Amino acid sequence: MTLLWPAARVLVAALALPAAAAAQATRAEIIAQAQAEKAAAMPVDPPGLVERTVVGIRRAAIESPSGPYPIVDSVYLGGGPTAGAGYRQYVGDRTVAKVRGLYSVKDYKALEGHLLSPGHRRDTVDLAATVAWMDATQIGFHGLGMDAGIDDRANFRQRQTTVGGEATLRPRRPWALSAALAGERFVLGPGRGREPSIEEVYDAGDAPGLGSSPTYAHSMLSAGYDRRPAAGYARRGGAYTLRYHRYDRGGSGGFDRVDVDLVQHVPLRRETWVLSGHARLQSTVGGDVPYFLLPALGGGSTLRGYSSWRFRDRHALLMQGEFRWVPNLLGMDMAIFWDGGTVAAARGDLAWSRVVHDVGVGVRLHTPAQTPIRVELARGDEGLRLVMAAKAVF
Amino acid sequence: MRRGLVGVVLVSALVASSRAGGPRFLPDDPLTVEPETQDAGDAAPRDIDLVWDLAENLFGRPGDRVRGVRAQNVNTIDEVPDSGWFTNRIHARPMTVDAIGRGPLVGDGPAPGRWTITHPKSAGFAPGFRIRDSAGTVWFVSLDAAGFPESATGALAVANKLFWALGYYQVENHLTSVAADQIDLAPTARIRAESGRFRPMRRDDVDAVLARAARDPDGRYRAIASRGLPGKILGGFEYHGTRPDDPNDVVPHEHRRELRALKVFGAWVNLVDMKAGNTLDTVVPGPDGRRVVRHYLQDIGSTFGAGANGPREFDEGWESLLDGPQVLARLFTIGLYMRPWQRVRYQELPAVGRFEGDAFDPRTWSPRVPPAAFRHARADDEFWAARRVMAFSDALIRAAVRSGGYSDVRAEQLLGDVLIKRRDAIGRAYLPALTPLADFAFDTAGGLTFANVAAAAGVAAAPRDGYRVQWLAMDNATGETTPLGDVVDVAASPAPPPGQYPPGPDAVLTARVWAEDPAWPSWRAPVDASFMRRGDGWRLVGVDRQP
Repeated sequence: MTLLWPAARVLVAALALPAAAAAQATRAEIIAQAQAEKAAAMPVDPPGLVERTVVGIRRAAIESPSGPYPIVDSVYLGGGPTAGAGYRQYVGDRTVAKVRGLYSVKDYKALEGHLLSPGHRRDTVDLAATVAWMDATQIGFHGLGMDAGIDDRANFRQRQTTVGGEATLRPRRPWALSAALAGERFVLGPGRGREPSIEEVYDAGDAPGLGSSPTYAHSMLSAGYDRRPAAGYARRGGAYTLRYHRYDRGGSGGFDRVDVDLVQHVPLRRETWVLSGHARLQSTVGGDVPYFLLPALGGGSTLRGYSSWRFRDRHALLMQGEFRWVPNLLGMDMAIFWDGGTVAAARGDLAWSRVVHDVGVGVRLHTPAQTPIRVELARGDEGLRLVMAAKAVF
Repeated sequence: MRRGLVGVVLVSALVASSRAGGPRFLPDDPLTVEPETQDAGDAAPRDIDLVWDLAENLFGRPGDRVRGVRAQNVNTIDEVPDSGWFTNRIHARPMTVDAIGRGPLVGDGPAPGRWTITHPKSAGFAPGFRIRDSAGTVWFVSLDAAGFPESATGALAVANKLFWALGYYQVENHLTSVAADQIDLAPTARIRAESGRFRPMRRDDVDAVLARAARDPDGRYRAIASRGLPGKILGGFEYHGTRPDDPNDVVPHEHRRELRALKVFGAWVNLVDMKAGNTLDTVVPGPDGRRVVRHYLQDIGSTFGAGANGPREFDEGWESLLDGPQVLARLFTIGLYMRPWQRVRYQELPAVGRFEGDAFDPRTWSPRVPPAAFRHARADDEFWAARRVMAFSDALIRAAVRSGGYSDVRAEQLLGDVLIKRRDAIGRAYLPALTPLADFAFDTAGGLTFANVAAAAGVAAAPRDGYRVQWLAMDNATGETTPLGDVVDVAASPAPPPGQYPPGPDAVLTARVWAEDPAWPSWRAPVDASFMRRGDGWRLVGVDRQP
């Protein structure tokens, strides 16, 4: 807002001193004349368009956070570039209701409503409720196990309606305990896209549950220990989480799934470099697990050199390692990474000999707590893949 | 932001006249006080947006596009007059240990008794609030972050004294403490919730602030209480341009020497957070009933080795947030291109943080976002600033540090040691960078006395081949000079008087002095010291030390 031209004008006046100097007897009088000329003109310097825009957005975010906002996110893994819009309305000091709609280039769609109410009980309890509908039109299925071929891909369409809630208790940071309960209605159908639809290639023996459209009562319990500065971006600290999922169909059965997720960042030479590791085990227990809820690997946050949903089975093991270097602590990381993973019908078959790998390089632009831009190039046994994402890989 | 016109203006209002065709020196030269002749009572409060301020200085180049412009608020002897920005203190006059220990404090801290919170803290990350004490005085209270006792409050107390001594307007920062049960909440206190709406403050809001604060073993909270400033609060100032609504503000801020000099002062104390939001303008009564603007360096707590929430990031003070060449070098070398901050050793104490003086180089120091005034700092500005830093004796530095009230004697010792090392590094970097001659005067025998301030500070030896002095008669109307005899070689001050003196009541006698030393070729650039006949003697009216 403090613009230059008024000062310049005054000093131009001061420069015009051959005549002025003759009229002024002292240095103080010369300065007084310059000040008098500025007082007479009293310039007005409104902020420019860019400044007004930046300030307007920032102030709106602080002073009036309720309102519409743009979204760059994902409807569902493999949906491709996605954009949308949301509207949030605060209904309490920190309680906010959000509705948002998303649409991807592959015609994936989502409509969601969230009620988030964090910070209860001296900031130890967070509550959330969700109503969501999603339509993913061409999710890939290559068959089960590690022997599923790249050319065996078929597509299916998944429409999902979710109504649920979650409570998180943080009795003592960095510990967190969560419990969630949701009703999830799945409607499966023929897939779109270039690949054949799933029912044209597979039967219920190859794709468990094919032809069904179940509804589950999905409950989840988790315990976590998170020492990272922020989950969305970190160069140090670790996060260790154990989750237990129960998918219950009432009298029609159901299944359980246990997830173990470990993340560790080890900074070297004052965060000049960071060794980051991630391991995840997903293991289903009992019952019939439908093909679309089987643990899976492949895509921009797991096996980045493979297509989304490339490998599925009852158990999945993922390992990721990154060597990161930090050109700029404020906002830019580079990474060389390795991903390895395997799926198996039996937990005991998660063998190193069946692990597939990829390697790659990436650039990430980040804020202190988020990674809004991640671009990576990964190469696996099935070729080169470009990953573009709006969140950290882990 | 419109730019451009300033770039053609190279002459200071304070030193301009002769070079524009008028007399070289005027009767009131050198000015010791910058006049403020207009009423600034209509100056209006404004809010400089934090993000815009940082973005503009980080990605843009606000202010004068022309580099190398001489500071425009220096007087004819290359000094900064007192003004609404600056008051000559250390170096200009003697400074005692007692004076620096008290600094800007003119009264006592908060009155004994209960504190009433009237507002939440509105800026910065440190926990705190605004209170009214039992006597009704308003204070801005800042606390240490949990886990880092005495770091933020100690820095605020010590830096407050140092910047006051350097000449800047400072708020009164009183070191004090408070117990949780001593704090009441005014019924009018309101806080902006995450929703953006204001609501009455509640006790749990206070508890949340205290939960983020370091607690002393006795259960109290150590705090800095900053006395509310008098007058109309206008908000911060930018380090470029001028306030449009202050008619007395006619020198673009990037061309104010005392703001350029913050590059050196900031390096000394590691003041990494130089932004408009840490400054404050107020309208106060001035001379003859006029109202004038006072410019404060309000928040100088981002100093030494700790921030509001713990130790500084390793690169803070070593690089700006966006240092393009460094970024590219690390990008293409997979991080193998190393800077000193990646190797330097710290003696880390919680109250001091990451602050060291062995690898420190003031020439490469950088705040997070260098403001425009930094980019315009020239060698003569740095020389001016370095003389002030070097004027702090060890005893003065330790007295200022003592005011931080550190309970850990190791912290007090470390902070003093590092400040002394950094002071000396500043002297080594900037005093010999140009011809370090100053303090020109005549002795009783008529000889010219002068000081080699680099040699006097012990950062350079006296010139091997001595000094050269050329006496000149100056025509004050035109600035033209005529030699008075030959160049004289002298081994040291004083130089012999001129063989003849220019005649006339307003005659100007100039001594052109330089030094000869193969080790310091830059010292051959002469310094012109001009004296005007005033009554029976000669008064120093000009020092021309252009790099």
